[in-house]
Amino acid sequence: MKTQSKLYLYLTISALLLVVLAIAALYIGVYDFNGLSPFTVLSQYISGDPNLALSDKYVIWDVRAARIIMSILIGSMLAVSGTSLQGLFKNPLATGEAIGLTSGATLLAAIAIVLGGHFKEYLPEMVQFSLTGISAFIGALLAMMLVYRISTSAGKTNVVMMLLSGVAITSIGFSITGFLIYISKDEQLRDLTFWNMGSLAAATWTKNIVLAVVIAISYAVLLPKGKALNAMMLGERDAQHLGINVERLKKQIVIITSLMVGTCVAFSGTIGFVGLIVPYILRLLFKSNYTFILPLSAVLGSILLLIADTISRSIVAPSELPIGILTSLIGGPIFIAILIKFKKSL
Amino acid sequence: MLKARQIDYRHKEFFILNDVDVTLDYGDFLAIVGPNGAGKSSLLSILANEVKQGKQKIMFKNKEISEWEVRELSMHKAKFSQHNSNEIPLQVKDVVMMGRYPYFDSQPRKEDFEAMNKHMYETDVYHLKERDYNTLSGGEKQRVHLSRVMVQVENEIEKKLIFLDEPLNNLDVKHQYKALEIIKKFTQKENSAIVVLHDLNLAAQFANKILLMKSGKVSAYGTPEEVFTAENITQAYNFPCTICAHPVNANPMIIFG
Repeated sequence: MKTQSKLYLYLTISALLLVVLAIAALYIGVYDFNGLSPFTVLSQYISGDPNLALSDKYVIWDVRAARIIMSILIGSMLAVSGTSLQGLFKNPLATGEAIGLTSGATLLAAIAIVLGGHFKEYLPEMVQFSLTGISAFIGALLAMMLVYRISTSAGKTNVVMMLLSGVAITSIGFSITGFLIYISKDEQLRDLTFWNMGSLAAATWTKNIVLAVVIAISYAVLLPKGKALNAMMLGERDAQHLGINVERLKKQIVIITSLMVGTCVAFSGTIGFVGLIVPYILRLLFKSNYTFILPLSAVLGSILLLIADTISRSIVAPSELPIGILTSLIGGPIFIAILIKFKKSL
Repeated sequence: MLKARQIDYRHKEFFILNDVDVTLDYGDFLAIVGPNGAGKSSLLSILANEVKQGKQKIMFKNKEISEWEVRELSMHKAKFSQHNSNEIPLQVKDVVMMGRYPYFDSQPRKEDFEAMNKHMYETDVYHLKERDYNTLSGGEKQRVHLSRVMVQVENEIEKKLIFLDEPLNNLDVKHQYKALEIIKKFTQKENSAIVVLHDLNLAAQFANKILLMKSGKVSAYGTPEEVFTAENITQAYNFPCTICAHPVNANPMIIFG
């Protein structure tokens, strides 16, 4: 009873904080609603007030609200995928960026953007529409399977191999993406730059609906896995003795995290290190107890990315700073901090 | 309870286990003994369904062990591994609570906490409850895992089985006896235990069946009195010994040298 109510308490507090921050973020921006508060404008929109100006409507709903929701969804997914990967690899350094998942996704997404035009017409309509997204998912999945094969044998992960195979995949991705940039046309070039920097500026409600569906499916599978990830710390054989179907668990994590990372990359480009920062902070508070840090990373990830995105679009207003710069700025030092802490065990 | 016939296990061309038979009855305390590299841990691993190799059949409660549903099986048997992970960034109570994972879905219930506390007292780790597992000594870690294994088989199911691979490593004399008494008590309720031990005298004192192994084969099997003869032991360990009756409990007592 005790731990259960504690978890729900933390979840409630952080969810409330998220709501407050989301409302605050609504107030931040260059556009002026003729002296009205953005919150009033939003409630006018929701209640269907006919007096609402078209431009006000557009800015509050299709620009700000859509972007805030997207940062919440993407942040949550990136954090949960990071936490699950760390559980699978039994190491706090495992994140989508470090092990090459993000690069794999970016690479195939870039190929789809630049070369997609040549073979798009042969594909079914459904696939055509979401070609970039599907490519990103496949890219992430391939990278994941490659890294896992290289770095893990007999249920033990070699951390050095894991990170180095990530380096290899990243450099392959970097060179091919570079080549694609070199041969791409103007419009494609803009798309590609967007992948590499990461941005939530292209948020729309259609994208949010897709993200929400992906989240619902992924979390239904992953969030109840806290116990299983704890048991994995004993080693795979002992986890099996505790009644955990280890093979199935591993497959589920591989597929679902690839799906989440791929979707995030397809919609917002490379926003690095969220999956590293969030579990790092939670581990300081709850050790590595995944029954706590897995569900809490879903909320804390949203909080982090919402704050980062609000800063990125307001710090150099009316222009905006690519959000990836901010998250990497926090993430890099944390990565080094974890490395130093693990120096002795590497 | 457990029946295994003709177990073979090899690494490339080298036989680690060669034609081993094991039969275990309800209430048996079976000690597997033998020199280093005799295949004791490998045998335990195969019996506990960790390694799937070849076509040998292991029957657990008259049903092939690989056909049991994973979670169901975890309530009937538990295993204490020799190489327990050193780095588990959790508190001791969280590690022991893992033994209750087969029983609850998202959060532990009242009976899970009760079982946890009971076995933490018995293995003498209750006072370490809030400590970080990583800061414990080797022997304390062993006791935490023993506690976790005993917590896992704390239920209403009859005739359970535990596997323990060198549970006495790093333990001081008092805790060696305590650990064996816990296992003995468990087997007295119609449950069974298969334990890999190094100390022959402790094996003679606590186990009712002994399996002596050498080079992947069974060199003797039976009660302590039957197995622990000077001839058997000298041959298996390639080291001279004398056997006499234990002055207190009349079990065979092995004196090496």
